[in-house]
Amino acid sequence: CKHSWNTCSSHQQSALSLPDQRASPARLPFGKKQLPPIPKNAAPITKPASTGTPAQSANGTHASYGPFYLEYSLLAEFTLVIKQKLPGIYVQPSYKSALMWFGVIFIRHGLYQDGVFKFTVYIPDNYPDGECPKLVFDIPVFHPLVDPVSGELDVRRAFNKWRRNHNHIWQVLMYARTVFYKINTTEPLNPEAAVLYEKDVQLFKSKVVDSVKLCNSHLFDQPKIDDPYAISFSPWNPAVHEEAKERMFTYKRRPEDHHKGTQVSGLSWVKPGSTQPFSKDDSPPQS
Amino acid sequence: MSWLSRLNPRAPGSRSGRSAAPSSPCTADPETCLMVFENHWRQVSWVLEQQEPSSSSDDLTAVRNHTDQMLCLLAEERPAESPEGAPGVAPMGPILELVVTQNILAGLVQWHLRRGLDPDSQGALLKLFEMLIGQSQQPLLQHTAILHPLLRLLGACADPELGCPLALENSLVLLLNQICVSMARQPVVLEMLFRAAPAQQGSTNLLIFSLLVPFIHRDGAIGQQARDALLLVMAASASHEAVARYIAENSYFCPVLATGLSALYSSLPRKIEVRGDDWHALRREDWMGVSSLVLFMNSLEFCNAVVQVAHPLVRSQLLDYLHNGFLVPVMGPALHKSSVDEMIASTAYLDLFLRSVSETSLLKTFLRFFLLHRHDNDTILDTLLTRISSNSRLCMVSLSLFRTLLSLNCEDIMLQLVLRYLLPCTHVMLSQRRAIREADLYGKSADKFLSLIPECCRLNAGSSADEDGAFWGKVLNSPTTESPAPPRPSTPSRLSFFIRQQSSGGGSGGGAPSTPTSMEPLQSGPSSSHPLSPESPMHQQQANTECLDWDSDYLEYLKDARRGIEICSWACRDWSAPYDGENPSPNTAPPPPPPPTSNPSMAMFPEHFSFQQGGSSNTPPGQQRAPIVAAARAEWSSSERDSGEWDVTIGKNNCISLTPRSKKRSLQREELLPKPIPHLVPSSSSSAAPLSTSHPASSPAPHNPTSAITVSYQAMYNGVTGQGDGCSDNRDRGLEVKKVKRDLGEQQYLDENANQNGSLVTCSSQSCTTLPQSIFSNSEMGDRPNQISSQSSITQPTSDTKLLTSDTSNPPSASSDLPEANQTQQSVESLIQELLEQAPGEAPLPGDSNGQGISIEAFTQELRELEDRVKERSRAACQQEETARESLSSERQEEEQQQLSSALEVKLTGDTKEDGPAVGLCSPARPLNQPAYQPYTGPFMVVLFAKLENMLQNSLYVNILLTGIVAQLACYPQPLLRSFLLNTNMVFQPSIKSLIQVLGSVKNRIEAFAASHEDFPAMLKKAQQYLVARGKLDWADSPAAVPTLRRSDSLVKSRKPSLGDLILRHTNSPTRARHAAQLALAHVRDGSQSLHSALFRGGGGASGLEKQAEALRVKNAVYCAVIFCEFLKELAALAQEHAVTLPFPHSPEAEE
Repeated sequence: CKHSWNTCSSHQQSALSLPDQRASPARLPFGKKQLPPIPKNAAPITKPASTGTPAQSANGTHASYGPFYLEYSLLAEFTLVIKQKLPGIYVQPSYKSALMWFGVIFIRHGLYQDGVFKFTVYIPDNYPDGECPKLVFDIPVFHPLVDPVSGELDVRRAFNKWRRNHNHIWQVLMYARTVFYKINTTEPLNPEAAVLYEKDVQLFKSKVVDSVKLCNSHLFDQPKIDDPYAISFSPWNPAVHEEAKERMFTYKRRPEDHHKGTQVSGLSWVKPGSTQPFSKDDSPPQS
Repeated sequence: MSWLSRLNPRAPGSRSGRSAAPSSPCTADPETCLMVFENHWRQVSWVLEQQEPSSSSDDLTAVRNHTDQMLCLLAEERPAESPEGAPGVAPMGPILELVVTQNILAGLVQWHLRRGLDPDSQGALLKLFEMLIGQSQQPLLQHTAILHPLLRLLGACADPELGCPLALENSLVLLLNQICVSMARQPVVLEMLFRAAPAQQGSTNLLIFSLLVPFIHRDGAIGQQARDALLLVMAASASHEAVARYIAENSYFCPVLATGLSALYSSLPRKIEVRGDDWHALRREDWMGVSSLVLFMNSLEFCNAVVQVAHPLVRSQLLDYLHNGFLVPVMGPALHKSSVDEMIASTAYLDLFLRSVSETSLLKTFLRFFLLHRHDNDTILDTLLTRISSNSRLCMVSLSLFRTLLSLNCEDIMLQLVLRYLLPCTHVMLSQRRAIREADLYGKSADKFLSLIPECCRLNAGSSADEDGAFWGKVLNSPTTESPAPPRPSTPSRLSFFIRQQSSGGGSGGGAPSTPTSMEPLQSGPSSSHPLSPESPMHQQQANTECLDWDSDYLEYLKDARRGIEICSWACRDWSAPYDGENPSPNTAPPPPPPPTSNPSMAMFPEHFSFQQGGSSNTPPGQQRAPIVAAARAEWSSSERDSGEWDVTIGKNNCISLTPRSKKRSLQREELLPKPIPHLVPSSSSSAAPLSTSHPASSPAPHNPTSAITVSYQAMYNGVTGQGDGCSDNRDRGLEVKKVKRDLGEQQYLDENANQNGSLVTCSSQSCTTLPQSIFSNSEMGDRPNQISSQSSITQPTSDTKLLTSDTSNPPSASSDLPEANQTQQSVESLIQELLEQAPGEAPLPGDSNGQGISIEAFTQELRELEDRVKERSRAACQQEETARESLSSERQEEEQQQLSSALEVKLTGDTKEDGPAVGLCSPARPLNQPAYQPYTGPFMVVLFAKLENMLQNSLYVNILLTGIVAQLACYPQPLLRSFLLNTNMVFQPSIKSLIQVLGSVKNRIEAFAASHEDFPAMLKKAQQYLVARGKLDWADSPAAVPTLRRSDSLVKSRKPSLGDLILRHTNSPTRARHAAQLALAHVRDGSQSLHSALFRGGGGASGLEKQAEALRVKNAVYCAVIFCEFLKELAALAQEHAVTLPFPHSPEAEE
């Protein structure tokens, strides 16, 4: 598929008050980083945690640290997503709220091959103590577990109860990917799809192909949600995208304050596999 | 590189005034010049051609005058026009051609030599040649007609009979320098020099080189020129194998360089005179005025430069010589000197050297020496580690050295210091190993750290919380408004007002305060990128802030933590392993060195002298160095000598301690009020050992230095080992007992033995709680393969609902096994019961494949919360009790924690049982194959934690350094280290003290202190004001006044926290510290009394001394409270940032 997507890529900048670049650009097959017209040094944004910040201590003595916890929890989740290197999945927290993440998933083989599905993840504001996050496709994909009207994926079946420490948002994303490769028809949100899959796979397949086509035909639409960090696609334009692609592939992340001249290369003379200092040494001084 | 760039030859004109050449007539055209030259030459050659060299001074004068003119003409001649514009070799000018074809210079030099070279002519010739080479418009040295006469002249200078008179040395070195400069421009000259030399006089065939070597270590310009010249030779020889081989094999260059360092080192001041009580490291401005140190540093810098540019042959030879000719024979013994002054000096020097060396291989030589070289059986590392626990400036200097080491981000250092002790993972419960890699996703650990901020220190929490909320809400509610939220006036974080070199650095300070890879002048660069630089708005905004706004600066800490972690993980990206508890494998990791005593009976010994470790207790006393004892003795004797350096403290319990006098000259007679000084309580956990019996022998013998040491060591000990982990410090113990044997009188020794008995009881009672844990941890060993890390299978439901319910009976039984069931314990039990009753509801539900891990961790978490509640209760209950009781109760708390842990372990074992095939392996009936050694986190951690636990008594400056080091450690991304320091949910083996435990005990002490001082809030406020003002002052002072520097570390040092100025030369001038303090105090004085006067007011009735001692104690405690709170925020921020930091990939160009 020859298109690029315009976004402040999840790999380049997080909306979560992180002005730095934290990502591995190599993960991007292609793409273009185009910063939305937002003021520099935007203040950290998140939705107000109306129900009180979860990590707040019982006695409330350091209540003022509370916002940091929610903010950082989500940031940590995002970091985990990046670390997981989920194949074909890209997400980007919204500019307006850290609790809303935009994403896109590329299906590379199987029944849904060539599908490019945009979605939005909604994280409950009492995260991580609340319900499981919701994942809603922009366009309802024809799939037993996707609500044909709202486009919501049935995530809850995989995360019956959201458990902090053990359930993570990357798992939701992973799950969203899995459902396209391994079709599950029990208790479907889209009974028609489920029945067809069971009874008439051929018809199911053709409906899926139609659905994929439909989704892809809307690829260049404006994002459903108006947000500077929403993911938007545009046709491949070498004048715009080649250079950006080049930069992404050659980009090397460095510490924010890393200035030349300082020795931060780190010293190690330990031979891999050894735990002895100076084991890498070839010419020790003869004593 | 600055070395080389600095060596750029001077522009010809720049030295015209200095040159002996007469003003020349050669503005004329070349042909006129040639004619003039020929005219001169005719007259000279008339003299030269006389068969018998005349001794007539007329002849000499004539020759000289004409030669001056001729060479001046030669120097000013421009090369001839290239015929066809052929670039590259411009043809010689006519004069040069004449000189070459007629071999004029050879004739001249020959004439001089034949008639006997008097110093006057020699000097004149040297100057002439120097002028010629330095100013010539065309390359000269590749013409043998010029080079050979020059070499003959130099040969004469090398001639042992003739030699080079002292007065001519300057000219000689200058000439040599010029030769090297032009050689650097035309590498072919080196080749010619090398080949031409044998034909000339001299046995060594690189004459220039051997002439220069004697000047390597010279003072002043001449030494600098010689070093510059040599460096050019080095650089030129880097690609010239034969020359390099010659230098390495036939010259004395390397040995002279290395042994010269030794000689220079030996002339360094043995004692560093400092008045500022915050001084702890040598800054550039400290040593710039000390000529011997300048000399040494110049030579060291030269070594560094040689290592940088020289041929590998030369480099490795030089490094060998440095190791074997300087470090081992000179630095080693110097670091082991017995007087405290010398220890301080040598440690500060080593620190300075480490910060100054930039070349990796030279640094490696130093580090290898530091980590591996054994001096009297101990590595330098071991020896210096022990000094952290000293009670003097030695501690600060040592801390500073370790801060430097940590800032190198060197795997080998970290391995030796900490990681090798953590590698086997024996410090954590087996079930917890998986948690090593977990990050603090939800701020639990951060929250825990912050929750330790004592109530009494939340002065303005109320108002600032409101403000904060408003601030946050504002942003939240108008997320898209383009106008950024108005920045709140921000207060500086601790980092800014105590600008610590290592962490504030980001770039300039922190990571590598001292290890600039390049030696270019960096004064321009880093300051701008310094995150907390005075120009930054953060600092301008706080101009009107007089007090710390406690909560608003948390963001600052987060930023700083991010910076620290990123830089650190960047620096560590090429380490050999991730140190995540799996790689290197805990099973294959070699067991770390045990706490030095492996003798079990010794392990049981109580330690009231655990001042230092090092050396096995089995060593006969005669072979054992006791540097610290000696040091303390020296401290004592020095206090006798120039009474005023050290103060004697006599406490109510006959405790005597030595304390460095503060700059206020306050003599502290420490009043050992029971409550606020829990550290003086005997460390034994048995309540049956009252204070007095613990020190039966530290009799009121104020003149016995050893008993003085004893007591202060006792204080240390409480810090070091605290209650309950009596076994972790065996090493100290053994050694010290032995020392006691030697150092104390017989009587004292027996008394110590008596103590040992007392503490044997302690240990054995402790083993009650220890044993079950060991059993479990051990039995789970076989279980390990079962602990699958199931990361991906989220869709695969597993039922583990029963796990929690099935073993509810275990934990209570575990706790009921314990001997006493007092009230607190019952409450623990009931809490556990409560918890277990709730457990089924909390149990994981299907759909969760991580069931096992989940239940464990959830349970751990809940247990932790329970523990906290228990601790809260018991703390409240105990708060009014006396110190002894309090410490006892805190011990109980620890026991309770252990019991809880045991309970947890029991439960976990139950879990595994249910889970399947591994059941057989984890039968609790296999208690016997326990590891032979106790888990031990290594001397570094132990001594740091000990010092930390003692925070309330530490001076402000010690605490700044100390917390800085711990924070620096906490920046390291390696999960083993990170989890050990920052994961407050980890369950450690009972003998392992965790950071959070240590901090908890500090918190309790602070609260106890605050409760006993009704004016605490006021004092705290003053202390904050003082520190803020101090920070501002430091900022205002530091940045600009950096003289011409070659190294970036001087910049760093100019920013260092210390206000105190090291004054090596003018020991009597007022220190900057005092000056600063006065200014600061003037600044914060707001009608009421300043902090210091308030603190020093003292209570009525007490004697002056007591008052002062009390005042100092109060002062330390109040400052401690301030630092402590900031430290907690710093740790919390680090814990949070670790969760959101991505690792850096290996650098592709990973060396070797």
